[in-house]
Amino acid sequence: MSILAPTPVDLEALVTDMWASFVGAPELLLPAAPPAEDVPLWSATVTVTGEWRGMVTVDLAEPAVLAVTRGMLGFGDDEDPDAASCADAVGELVNVVGGNVKSLMPGPSTLSLPVVSHGPVELPSEMTEATALHLTWQGAPVRVRVLTATPA
Amino acid sequence: MQALIIDDSRAMRSILRRIVTDLGWSTAEAGNGQEALDLLEGGHTPDLCLIDWNMPVMDGYTFVQRVRAEPRWRDVTLMMVTTESEHGQIVRALAAGAHEYVIKPFTGEAIIEKLGLLGLLDQEVPA
Repeated sequence: MSILAPTPVDLEALVTDMWASFVGAPELLLPAAPPAEDVPLWSATVTVTGEWRGMVTVDLAEPAVLAVTRGMLGFGDDEDPDAASCADAVGELVNVVGGNVKSLMPGPSTLSLPVVSHGPVELPSEMTEATALHLTWQGAPVRVRVLTATPA
Repeated sequence: MQALIIDDSRAMRSILRRIVTDLGWSTAEAGNGQEALDLLEGGHTPDLCLIDWNMPVMDGYTFVQRVRAEPRWRDVTLMMVTTESEHGQIVRALAAGAHEYVIKPFTGEAIIEKLGLLGLLDQEVPA
């Protein structure tokens, strides 16, 4: 049984669109190696349940989180966003990616509200990574993954 | 003109606020459908509501149903702005009384184009 998931091309297109629309910075997202294990990341997840079951995660290093939050919430370059603002911005990013991934998969299904953590998130053992984008933005790692429920 | 921006994300409210304030509109904000209904009940009457779908407490779809059930709010224009892009959900929202449907991610130009289609851009846009 094959695992149904968005292709890397689909995922990259929607992440690039979202970045251009909401983050509003001229720097491009660029392909990169997976982030080193010791790089602290903010992690945001949404879960899709229904005809298709899966999870979408967005992980960003702290400098990227701060820049994304400044862009989305309209902070000045010299302002340091607070943790709640960072969580809000990163949560909205994964919400947008998750909603669009959901629309690419068979429906109907339901999208959860985002969960954001400042640190690694433990993924359910029944979920398997199906698609992953390893990127860098302003020199900081950005990772977007789609996980799907492992077929029985 | 006045817009009520209804989204549980402060970041998204901020993005939408900048788009409509650049048009010279004033804005109010709510973090979910219930907060927005409370504002309407309190006498706040916007020309336009920009409404997320997935929110805690009360989602945007329920908000649309509740607003459309009240004749006193029939002149309020309702625009969904959401990641929910399944065809069935778009149809449900429009059938419930939403006038327009914008899928995230969007550009400011896309929102402004929709406002024009709704006839909400009759006033001069400030330079």
